[in-house]
Amino acid sequence: MPQLLNGNEAAAHAARLARVEVLASYPITPAAPVMEKITQFITEGSLKANFVRVESDHSALAAALGASMAGARSFLITNSQGLAYMSEVLYHVSGLRQPVVMAVVNRALAAPHSRFPEHGDAIAQETAGWIQFFCENNQEVLDSLLQAFRLGEDERVRLPVMVNYEGYIQSHTREVVDLPDQKVVDSFLPLVRRPVLDVENPLAVNTVASPAVYMDYKFHQDEALKRAGEVAREINAIYAGLTGRDWGGPVSGYRLEGAEIVLVTMGSLVSTARVAVDALRSAGEKAGLLKVRLFRPFPLTEIRATLKTVKAVVALDKNIVFSSGGALAREIRAGLYGHAAVPVYSYILGLGGRDVDVEDLMAIYRQVRDQRQAGAVPAPYQWYGL
Amino acid sequence: MDLITSLAEVPETELFTGGHGGCRSCGAAIAVRQALKALGPRTIITIPASCMATIGGSDLTTAWEIPFYHALFETAPAVASGIRAALDIQGIKDVNVVSWAGDAGTADIGFQSLTGAAERQENIIHVCYDNETYMNTGGQAGSVTPYLAVTPDTPGGKPTPRKDMLAIMAAHRPAYLATASIAYPLDLIQKFQKAKEIQGFRYIHILAPCFKGWGIREDQTVQVARLAVESGLWLLYEEIKGQRRVTYRPERRVPVADYLRLQGRFKQMDDAAVAALQAEVDRRFQEVQS
Repeated sequence: MPQLLNGNEAAAHAARLARVEVLASYPITPAAPVMEKITQFITEGSLKANFVRVESDHSALAAALGASMAGARSFLITNSQGLAYMSEVLYHVSGLRQPVVMAVVNRALAAPHSRFPEHGDAIAQETAGWIQFFCENNQEVLDSLLQAFRLGEDERVRLPVMVNYEGYIQSHTREVVDLPDQKVVDSFLPLVRRPVLDVENPLAVNTVASPAVYMDYKFHQDEALKRAGEVAREINAIYAGLTGRDWGGPVSGYRLEGAEIVLVTMGSLVSTARVAVDALRSAGEKAGLLKVRLFRPFPLTEIRATLKTVKAVVALDKNIVFSSGGALAREIRAGLYGHAAVPVYSYILGLGGRDVDVEDLMAIYRQVRDQRQAGAVPAPYQWYGL
Repeated sequence: MDLITSLAEVPETELFTGGHGGCRSCGAAIAVRQALKALGPRTIITIPASCMATIGGSDLTTAWEIPFYHALFETAPAVASGIRAALDIQGIKDVNVVSWAGDAGTADIGFQSLTGAAERQENIIHVCYDNETYMNTGGQAGSVTPYLAVTPDTPGGKPTPRKDMLAIMAAHRPAYLATASIAYPLDLIQKFQKAKEIQGFRYIHILAPCFKGWGIREDQTVQVARLAVESGLWLLYEEIKGQRRVTYRPERRVPVADYLRLQGRFKQMDDAAVAALQAEVDRRFQEVQS
């Protein structure tokens, strides 16, 4: 049933529909409203869950991990400073193969102090072993969160999942969001318990691992993350069958037919890029868009398949890996290496909430088109909007 | 509930078995063995970075006969809070949830999560096994290391007194609070028996010497633990909803010097320092006994 919801409200409803059992979360701007809304659901009786009112973000994930290991479906919300603070716990959760789901309301990392959106916080945790979704709009936030529970809990995966959406642009902006029926969600998300801390079957979890075993654990973890892409595609298809909404697999294309210069991006910028591509096409440009939905595991096969025949790729990164450039650009170049010599133009933009609008993307497109015509090799990365 | 009043009544089952990796006469291992006699097999234990977290086994071996999780250093009480929330939502009510930490995981790096859990009145038992130093990383000084103790990072003696964790935890108004000593196993076991039956946040602080860190002989672990109590330096009491009851009172206190002189870590203490400590112990003993 369609409602006007902001991204935070959409996330809260997803947690409710998923019947999360333990919420352990610490407030942080602009994510806190999600937890507040969930506690309202609990108080009014529309969600039966225990809220652990932890005293820090680091403890939030520790408590969520404890709950997951003891067999409960657990959930939390954070971003930027909180996400960075709980960083070491992220590695515990993924290394212990616990399917905790976390909504990350992307925000720039201090210093300087910022409250505003960009993807740097999530990118900083790209090696933590979590599945990472980036959502284009509030509907996708809700749908991706529901899919995240099933994906993380899948036997073939058993990994934690981060669902990213941007602070303010998405968290605080209302859009029409259709809420699936509770019955539909229940059939999509049956509760499966796999406690590892269980008095009926005592196990010692996280003993000291010598060089003889550690690396093998990491191999299996890596294999699981690699499998997650295919399982995500499968789950999306099932969800599409139940709700009529198909978000595609790890990537989805827009007007790629005959496209010569393709914009590639994640998150809210995808919506902006759709409008820009339409405008460019109207002006006779052979523009296209590739949306990256799943950043981890990065969809190398899909990237190669979709981009190997285009003339140029423009990677739009709302993040910066200092001295190295944008994370998307790096992943795309790695994916194409040895398969296709497609030039990848890398743009750093929108950091710390600096606005990026349709005209900006069209200007970038034209810049790339001109640079191509001049025969220049793409710079490692360029800044836009300084 | 029938309190165990003699060693003959102590259950034989070991929930932390022999073959563990602790040093001979490890005070930590003794403490956990004693506690588990009271807590029994329906117990989930989470232990942050510490000797105790590692001596239970490595790779695919374990001495634990109960569910055990080696938690991140700061997190044991937070993890325990999450475990309890999960058990509650599943309707599982008869399992003890224990966060068992050393002094660092309790008073220092673990303090944030401890104070949070205590304030929330989490239905868990937090146990501090206290050897008064950061033994797992080599014995460096922490906030509960005694004044003038020599450690690898305070080679001239620790310049500040020990932080009073019992007062700090009492200020959280826990449902149950107790001190214990491995040299008084029946007292310790009874306290765990009582704690087990109480709902809410329970805090038990056990003095558990480490011969290595304290500079004593291996075979002196229990003897020195006993001297701490017999000198009045370590008081044995419990508080139920803030009401204190002394559970053991030495008939005649021995001088603290008898306790201190056995330990290499106190070699920087001169007569004046010993006298000051004696005066401090005398004062506190009077306060508590009255």
